[in-house]
Amino acid sequence: MKNRLRVLRAERGWSQADLAERLEVSRQSVNAIETGKYDPSLPLAFRIARLFESSIEAIFTDEV
Amino acid sequence: MGCMTKNPAVRRFIFRTLAASSAYIVLTVSIALFFYKFRPHGPLAYVLAVLPAVAILGNIVAVGLYLIEDKDEVQRSVMVELLLWGLGGVLVLTSAWGLLETFTHIRHFNPTYTYTLFWLCVGIGVPFLQRRYR
Repeated sequence: MKNRLRVLRAERGWSQADLAERLEVSRQSVNAIETGKYDPSLPLAFRIARLFESSIEAIFTDEV
Repeated sequence: MGCMTKNPAVRRFIFRTLAASSAYIVLTVSIALFFYKFRPHGPLAYVLAVLPAVAILGNIVAVGLYLIEDKDEVQRSVMVELLLWGLGGVLVLTSAWGLLETFTHIRHFNPTYTYTLFWLCVGIGVPFLQRRYR
């Protein structure tokens, strides 16, 4: 699953560590999601969407 | 299993694992000395012999509690992958050793070391997963 996490993060000038702190996960977890190595659960996807004031579909796409 | 110092679930897991491992060592050494000195027999010998397995159970409970308590789902997933490394490794190695015992004259493998072998296999998986999830 592809996502726009890196772009959204860069727009706000956040590092992976900053985003990790806001999501209460580790930096490695943010990196794993950003690079598509891990697809977040629905609750985490909702948390990410809320943080970026966006919808899940606007951040994540089901393209491989 | 990143954020070793910040993540309270990881801190609790490390504490519980160290406690269970220490209990295992203390129990094993004490019971070995007890057997050497007093040579118990009957039901007492059976109970004493399996007592260190309680510490192993404690270690498994520590892993289970970590998987329940860690709020970071990616880290939980990494732990599950590591456990699969351990399970896969120990199943392949013990099965292969069993076949060798059946068809050759290789030395008997003492199943007491299975749990240690499991964590060794987990340890082998760590650098691979660290590389993947860095």
